[in-house]
Amino acid sequence: MKKTLRELRPVYVVGIGLHKYQHLSDTTYVTLGLTAVRAALNDAGIGWPSVESAYTGTALIGMAASRPMLRHLGATGIAMAQVENASASGSTAFRQACLDVASGISDVALAIGVDKPAMLNGAPGKTRIRDLVGARVAPFTHFALLANEYMNRYSVSAEQVAQVAVKNNRNGANNPFAQRRKAVTLEEVMAGPAISGTLTRLQCCPVGEGAAAVIVASGDAIEKLKIDRARAVRVIASVSRSERVYRGAKNNDAELTRETVAQAYNEAGIGPADLDLIELHDAFTIEELLYVEAMGLCGEGEGAAMSASGATDIGGKCAISASGGLIAMGHPIGPTGAGQVAEITRQLRGEAGVRQQPNAKIGLAHMVGVGAVCVVHVLQKDA
Amino acid sequence: MPETIAAPPELYSASPDGIPKLNGGRCIACGYVFFPPQSYGCEICGASGDQLAPLALKGEGVLRSFATVHLYQGKGIEAPFTVGVILLDDGPAVRALLTQKTDAGLKIGDRMRTVLVGAVPDEGGAGANELRFTRQELLK
Repeated sequence: MKKTLRELRPVYVVGIGLHKYQHLSDTTYVTLGLTAVRAALNDAGIGWPSVESAYTGTALIGMAASRPMLRHLGATGIAMAQVENASASGSTAFRQACLDVASGISDVALAIGVDKPAMLNGAPGKTRIRDLVGARVAPFTHFALLANEYMNRYSVSAEQVAQVAVKNNRNGANNPFAQRRKAVTLEEVMAGPAISGTLTRLQCCPVGEGAAAVIVASGDAIEKLKIDRARAVRVIASVSRSERVYRGAKNNDAELTRETVAQAYNEAGIGPADLDLIELHDAFTIEELLYVEAMGLCGEGEGAAMSASGATDIGGKCAISASGGLIAMGHPIGPTGAGQVAEITRQLRGEAGVRQQPNAKIGLAHMVGVGAVCVVHVLQKDA
Repeated sequence: MPETIAAPPELYSASPDGIPKLNGGRCIACGYVFFPPQSYGCEICGASGDQLAPLALKGEGVLRSFATVHLYQGKGIEAPFTVGVILLDDGPAVRALLTQKTDAGLKIGDRMRTVLVGAVPDEGGAGANELRFTRQELLK
């Protein structure tokens, strides 16, 4: 009979590390990745030889990224592979690391997301199935269309949607690993430049370079390696789904998130009211409103009002993207999902400094990838 | 692939009523109607081959959403241009360029229809037709 992650051997995040997300530079992916992995090993207080398997979440670097990077930690001969799942690559690398530990195949596993911007032709463009718009509808226009429909349906203004960028940039300003580190006013967000529909530049995430590493371990390994159990954070759900055909006038992106998050709630034995923080796939402002509703944090069309109430600020009922989210922390693709797990771990440990969500006990990480896929994890402070 | 026209000609056909039809498909096994056409397999039931039949869809529907694109560096068109999602009377929702450059006067719920616009420059500079959607009231 099949089992959920929680029914397998407990999995704990024991180490996190990042390389700052930043504009494309001449820094190699090797340096980006090693910086994050060494920081994660240091955070866990373990040596590289203790790590038994490694998954590199990356979409843009190219074939065979892992060993040319990780051999510089000492070529220990461990299992390693790349994981590509579009924007959810880092989330999926983390899931694979969790599954290794949960199954008992490894006691300690690494997920390392690393990427550098590159213009690649993705596989969806190679199916020879053409449509009426082709490249003229970029992701920002896909979401501009959803924003237009949402604003019309619920009488929400462009400024209310843009307010998401004000909150997330405010959070990102306090995150030393964020690509955008400047608080902005609503006027600055609205001032443009206009990108598509009502979306302006500051409502679209920057895609740069960076790295995020997460080390997971079993309870046995925590004992054996004398890892500080008080700083370990348990992973209580891991769910990965892909889009179905949602007939009628439904929003595919919201529906995919709705069913993925519902499954994660079920596996974790929690509901939306139990969440203290969420790291959410806010590549574009409108997504935050669509997804908080799909996650059941409020009713349909109530996302903007909930945001305006302060409920999703740090210090509110459920902090959304305390890291700054994709909009401010940035979206370097491979690292993004692993970086979300790092932020939630930091928060649940109570080590997030000025970004700390008070008394954070349960956090959810949510990524969407083009194609389309959705990957969700729930983390809990071990009682 | 560089694109000089967004809508390839194999996706639509002339119609006696002057409203070009969209070349969609229908799954004989489960009845699912889809656009754009493909023969790899049905997204609902997985049926393939002869089970996926061509189906001409009327080029008429209702505007579900729209967005004026301000940033575009590809070929064949200069920003701004306006894209719409049209819920076809025959079922599927399609995304298409609209005839108007900006969203002036557009409303969600507007009746829309297909129209061929000419003289979209192609790589040889000769010009090609392109299928777009337009507000029906503009044609009255």
